[in-house]
Amino acid sequence: MSLARPATDRSQPPPPAALRPFDFPPFHHQRLANGLRVLAMSMPRVPLVDLQILVPAGGQFDAPELPGLANLHGGLLDEGTARRSSLELAGLVEGLGGSLGSGAGWNMAYIEAGLLSDHLDRGLELLAEVVRSPGFAPSELDRTRQRIQAEILRRKGLPASLAERFFAAAVYGDTVYGRPLIGTAESLDQIDRDHLKGFYDRHVVPDGSTLIAVGDLDVDQLMARVEHHLGDWHAAPRPSEPVIEPAKLARTEVHIVDRPGSAQTQLLLGHLGVPRSHPDYPQTTLLNAIFGGKFTSRINLNLREEHGFTYGAQSSFARRRGPGPFSVRAAVATEVTGAATEQLLLEMRRIQQEPVSVEELRETQDYLVGVFPYTLQTISDIAKRLEAIAIFDLPSDYYEHYPAVLGDISREEVLAAAQRHFDPDHLAIIAVGSAEDLRPQLESFGPVLVHQP
Amino acid sequence: MTIQSSTRDAASNSSAPRLQDAPARSFELRRETLSNGLQVVMHRDPSLPLVAINLWYHVGSKNESPGRTGFAHLFEHLLFQGSQNVGTNDHFRYIQQAGGVANGSTWYDRTNYFEVLPSHQLDLGLWLESDRMGFFLPAITQEKMDNQREVVINERRQKMDNQPYGRAFERLHELLYTEGHPYRWPVIGYVEDLTAATLADVSDFFGTFYVPSNAVLTLAGDIDTDHALSRIEHFFGDIPGGAAIPQLEVPPARLTQEQREVQGDDVQLPRIYMGFNAPAYGADGWYAADLLAAALAEGKSSVLYEDLVYRRQLAQDVGCYVFPTELTATFAVISTARPGVDPNVLEAALTEHFARVASEPLPEVHFERSLNQRLTDYYSQLQTLDRRADLLSMFTTYFDDPAGMVHEVERYRSLSPEDLRAFAAAHLGTDQRAIVTVVPRADVAQVVACGATGQRDAEQEASVQPAKVPSASQGSDAAEAQS
Repeated sequence: MSLARPATDRSQPPPPAALRPFDFPPFHHQRLANGLRVLAMSMPRVPLVDLQILVPAGGQFDAPELPGLANLHGGLLDEGTARRSSLELAGLVEGLGGSLGSGAGWNMAYIEAGLLSDHLDRGLELLAEVVRSPGFAPSELDRTRQRIQAEILRRKGLPASLAERFFAAAVYGDTVYGRPLIGTAESLDQIDRDHLKGFYDRHVVPDGSTLIAVGDLDVDQLMARVEHHLGDWHAAPRPSEPVIEPAKLARTEVHIVDRPGSAQTQLLLGHLGVPRSHPDYPQTTLLNAIFGGKFTSRINLNLREEHGFTYGAQSSFARRRGPGPFSVRAAVATEVTGAATEQLLLEMRRIQQEPVSVEELRETQDYLVGVFPYTLQTISDIAKRLEAIAIFDLPSDYYEHYPAVLGDISREEVLAAAQRHFDPDHLAIIAVGSAEDLRPQLESFGPVLVHQP
Repeated sequence: MTIQSSTRDAASNSSAPRLQDAPARSFELRRETLSNGLQVVMHRDPSLPLVAINLWYHVGSKNESPGRTGFAHLFEHLLFQGSQNVGTNDHFRYIQQAGGVANGSTWYDRTNYFEVLPSHQLDLGLWLESDRMGFFLPAITQEKMDNQREVVINERRQKMDNQPYGRAFERLHELLYTEGHPYRWPVIGYVEDLTAATLADVSDFFGTFYVPSNAVLTLAGDIDTDHALSRIEHFFGDIPGGAAIPQLEVPPARLTQEQREVQGDDVQLPRIYMGFNAPAYGADGWYAADLLAAALAEGKSSVLYEDLVYRRQLAQDVGCYVFPTELTATFAVISTARPGVDPNVLEAALTEHFARVASEPLPEVHFERSLNQRLTDYYSQLQTLDRRADLLSMFTTYFDDPAGMVHEVERYRSLSPEDLRAFAAAHLGTDQRAIVTVVPRADVAQVVACGATGQRDAEQEASVQPAKVPSASQGSDAAEAQS
């Protein structure tokens, strides 16, 4: 260091240099003759590939009498095929340093494989085998059923899981989103092999399904191998979309899940949201970021940094094909549960009454737009974006325009979105903790129901 | 410096690749040291318009004193509360409005602070990090300290005290490490110690440990290294260097007699936490331990999963890992019993497996699979600039060798199945372990009475009681505290 070094001026944040622009990388999209869609991106930075097939076999298709069928079906897909046992399949993929998995969410079921790119063809072959000829062997059914039963039991001890379960029941009542995706102890006992095979026949079809491939791959070679392994997958009609139309609550309800001796309260409140396809999606994204979707959100600064009530408060609009919930979550100290709830309601009302400030809007837009390349570093980051395109039927150029769309939203539009999509007078408020401590703090918000886990 | 290993063998497409065939990654690395002692590592990769800034301070919970546990992590929170030129909540605000992300974390041996920014915002990140390295104390107040103390106590409740099994991991370390060993207490600390911490502790800690000579600054991403170095010099060069860090005196960590405890908790299924001591991170024995952990419990075809979860259905899940820690390492296996399975039966099955891996080398197929899994992990973690920067800081801090990150694959491939067996024989004996068995409260007495070994002395009997609070997570989640 030279002696003549001038003192560094630290009084102001230094200005940025020139921005290096970024665009969502191009990708390949194609539909096979049998209806299977393929989305693929070459990303050769590391010698890995990520492969997955999404099929229209999500929990949204569960019948009222058999919740958990889609989840059990999804979990069983990779547990053996007509030719190979579960352990043989796992041994093949894991022996190559890869992984194989399957499961179901509300929207779709998936089968996925992560492999060193040298084994791309092997991965496609196994995915095709799994999707086209799963075994549903009775022994695997029993094993997987018992594993899920134990998971249901485990979740009864988890405050966050308990809150989710009672929240869904309160907001969605007797519609499909009101029943647990994982099923219930009773429904799982009733599911037999015929249910699974029937569900498979109706839902695991090429039309409505998408193969996603990202990583160190050559698109032409990939397409040739996809044609080879999946081109003759027989066509069948895609399942029709279920109608999910829950009624909103008549008034705010308080549900306490009694867990005596709890060290803190797991708080979850919210109401119906909108389907992912709603035209207000970008506005609600921005609204949520300001309200509770980032570290410097209003509720985190209020509950954590101002009051010290919690380690963190967040909100989200769950993105589903049907109307997923808007919800707010925080684990708060028991004695401040009422005060924290009050602050959350105040913040919901405030953002409905006055437009967000110019600075707040600007810095949130700059954050959401600026952070975009950071969210696209890995092959699974990219796969997630392609997944969204597949699941929500987004146009293939969606992510080219996404930053500009977010950047153009005005304060008035955020206010209008808050007025349309926040409803602090018709909330389900769930608190998991000691009912004795919580009831007096929460009864002013609405009628209180106490539940056992 | 540029590090390059052998080139990729594209021909081998028919059989599983071995680590011997590991394709090369070419890494541009440059290393410098400022006159105040700050070590700088730069890694250029312009694939995306991003820069990761990663700062390691070589101080963690091991540098705390008993009575002040959890202080390193509380201190990390305080470092996000502003400095002379940065307002109270402005650190995250500046980063987010620039389109970046930031956080910090505390671990036994170190504390790290990191941000990833669009690369044209490099100066902003350097300004923020240098302001708190050089000019933190003028901004700290009692009010900020009290607020963050509450946040941390709530963090502890959320991650541990209010979670099923949440105190098991903490208890395992208390049994595994002797009084006075700094890995005995949890990174997040005990509530009474957090409550006792004072502002005087803050300035002492800062003055001792938060000095340039005790830090490594890594930049990774879209940078020109000459320019970046001049900006680092601009922002960090005038911060005074510090005195050498006090040496720790650490008692030996090896157990010679089994330690065990049954914990009652609000849980439905019993779970076993079994811990052993392994060689410190960086030793050959550590790599043997890590590869053995992968062979035992990573994936459905792993030894323990296949036998205990799949075939015999004694367990709902099983996990195995070894911590990458500096003084010594904890090798742990965690397994939840299936409904209706006596945890003593599950424990006996685990014991049997450990005896087998200590007496016979692993079958080749398990050994090969684990090597291949570590190769995939290696590539996988290279994908993000944040992870790369963190690894470079780590290898520089612990081993004075950023390139060690690239060569780590070779450490695994130098091993043989016999090395794994030798590790198990030397470290995984029943008299070298600690066991915490978490059971539903109502079952405590019964599980204790039928204990697998029946070897308990009076002191251990006395400690068999329901945990004070229902409780949390497992493995590294429980140990690493995030801001």
